[in-house]
Amino acid sequence: MSEACNSTPPHIQAQPQVRAGRRRLSLKTASFLAMIPTAGLVAVVFYVFVGWTVVISFTSSRLLPSYTFVGWQQYRRLFASNRWWTTMENLAIYASTLICGCMALGLMLAVLIDRGTRFERLYRTSLMLPLSMSFVVTGIVWQWLLNPGLGIEHAVRVLGWDEFRFDWLVRSDRSIYTIALAGIWQQSGMCMAIFLAGLRSVDGNFWKAARVDAIPTWRVYLQIIFPQMRTAFFTAFVLMFAAAAKSYDLVVTLTGGGPGFASDLPARFVVEHLARNELGMGAAGACMLLITIAAAVGPYLYMEMRRQKIVGL
Amino acid sequence: MSSGINNYRHGHKQPAAARLPREPLPRVKLSRTERCFALIAGALLSLSTFAAAPSAQPLEVMHWLTSSHDAAALAVVREAFTSRGGSWVESPMPGPGGTGRTAAVNRIVGGLPPGAFQFSLGSQLVELATAGMIAPVRTNTQWDAAIPASIALASKYGGRDIAVPMNIRGENWMFYNSAVLRRAGVAVPRTWDDFLAAAIKLKATGITPIALGGQAWQERLLFNSVLLGTGGREFYRRIYEQVDERAIGSAAMLRTYSIFGALRQFVDSGSPGRRWNQTTAFLIQGHAAFLFMGDWAKNEIIAVGLEPGVQIGCALAPAPEPAYIMMVDAFAFGRLKTPALEAAQNLFAQTLRDPKVQARMAQKLGAIPVRTDISDSGFDICSKHAMSIIREPQAQLLDPFLTLAGGLSGALDDAISQYWNQKELSAEQGRKMFLEAVKNNR
Repeated sequence: MSEACNSTPPHIQAQPQVRAGRRRLSLKTASFLAMIPTAGLVAVVFYVFVGWTVVISFTSSRLLPSYTFVGWQQYRRLFASNRWWTTMENLAIYASTLICGCMALGLMLAVLIDRGTRFERLYRTSLMLPLSMSFVVTGIVWQWLLNPGLGIEHAVRVLGWDEFRFDWLVRSDRSIYTIALAGIWQQSGMCMAIFLAGLRSVDGNFWKAARVDAIPTWRVYLQIIFPQMRTAFFTAFVLMFAAAAKSYDLVVTLTGGGPGFASDLPARFVVEHLARNELGMGAAGACMLLITIAAAVGPYLYMEMRRQKIVGL
Repeated sequence: MSSGINNYRHGHKQPAAARLPREPLPRVKLSRTERCFALIAGALLSLSTFAAAPSAQPLEVMHWLTSSHDAAALAVVREAFTSRGGSWVESPMPGPGGTGRTAAVNRIVGGLPPGAFQFSLGSQLVELATAGMIAPVRTNTQWDAAIPASIALASKYGGRDIAVPMNIRGENWMFYNSAVLRRAGVAVPRTWDDFLAAAIKLKATGITPIALGGQAWQERLLFNSVLLGTGGREFYRRIYEQVDERAIGSAAMLRTYSIFGALRQFVDSGSPGRRWNQTTAFLIQGHAAFLFMGDWAKNEIIAVGLEPGVQIGCALAPAPEPAYIMMVDAFAFGRLKTPALEAAQNLFAQTLRDPKVQARMAQKLGAIPVRTDISDSGFDICSKHAMSIIREPQAQLLDPFLTLAGGLSGALDDAISQYWNQKELSAEQGRKMFLEAVKNNR
């Protein structure tokens, strides 16, 4: 019991004796120094390279980088391209569908699991299995499923419904939704896990209090539990938005850009243009993508960070 | 009691003191024999890094000739090269040409250029040569005289040869399933109007008239065949070599777009995204009648045991005059610092230019040799036909990739693909998109 009365925790007591003449770094300095390699890497890889991309977007680079400045010409060419506007529109549709769909589905699954089921571990694991697949595999398998001649449409027709149509994959106006479908299937497990953790972190006493007041379950969830899960919602939103913005391999394997370029996304637009000896225009596209994402996520990020600071989290 | 300190001792966390080792780790003591062995092993390992350089330094060859036919063709070159005293080491890059080209460019820009690398003639190669990253090879005037003039021009920069063409691939072929045509009572069409009539007849019998994979490059192949077929050879040159905007705004272009638009209804619903080899299989299995594809489709036909020209017939796409749209694969050379390797590069170029090597390589690939002075014995009937056509200089046309800048060529692909896939667009709108793409990307 004498150890318990001692205020210094054991692990600091057990530290080896300082050798005479050797200065000891404070914990703060030591951790700062340890972060320098990572911070340096991040600074170079993110900020320096992003800066270089911005510089290249103002040049006439084709296959190789050149530093002949041409002002806004690449941006003008970008905005005159039909394909670019299609990709931006698709990004808006895809991001909103993916985020809403994943979060709604994930929330519903999390609520159902949290209410207590018999094989909870089984459900949790199996619902998270799609996450273990790469986007390429997801894209290829869903392409087979959605192909009108081979997949779901064919199977239902064989079963007897001759007029059944499910050819979204090959329709210019609907192919972007098939990408969202495959994305939701894959990513909803992630949302489910985040929301489950959020639900579990809410104090159980609320349920007891709600039962005393005879509040219907849906109101407890909507007005008491969910508002307490702000952090979980925020995390899920940021992760899903990142997944939507950087989607490339899913587009390539699922629709190859769709009939023509109807289901193309900006990331694929940029990579295609690099392959077409249009380094400058690709860089301009990448900068526009960055600005769009910053504009879309920035305000929400700022609001949440500020709120956390005020609340003291 | 749930005070923090008690939790710390009896709770979930182990006190840190328990995590520290009780005594220092034991020192490993090696016996005398073990120490000797370690010394010898270490010496051997370090010596192996100074392995003696072989007397003939191998030339590194980067390529994407990895499928069975392509590998057999490369083996022909390797045999000839080694019999002349050269030695090479291969760096295969499996995948379509685009990936291999990107890999080669990355190597060159990164400062470790390969000795020889497979590439396509076109604006990318010219840009690399402008940046001084390509090693020129010795010119051979006999070779220049024997090959089509436009190809000889495309493989030169500043008067010197920057690439050695390997073979010519034709892109305006029309393959057809003979049995399907016989059953429907349709003859092989020689003009596009005949083709439209035949397609309507075939569609009525339930056969898909055109097998097409809905990828931009396949749609472009079909468009180019229609352009050549409606406008003729001179028109094709005006559009794709001179990029004449008046030619783009002409009535011939409008007619091209209307015929191209009329072909949309003859393609099956599973077409978007389908790869070219699956599309060729679709034709071979008898689900479709015609296939507009380059001569690499012949390898798929041979792979299932059929002979090109017999059960699967080959004809050039309907056109008023005979013409051959050529795509040229070539080998280019990186700037290396060793003179011994420069000699090896020139030997490689010399090997590729040998008429016997050209002939055998083209036969294995299903393509035709670049030299026009080679006899056509040993080639299949389709290649024989092609070789007789390109002897006429007027019939030698180049794929736009060789004549246009990469960005313009890609933007035209987008415009053509958009028109093909958005069925509500009229021919007038299609032509306008083509013109806008040209104006925006010159």
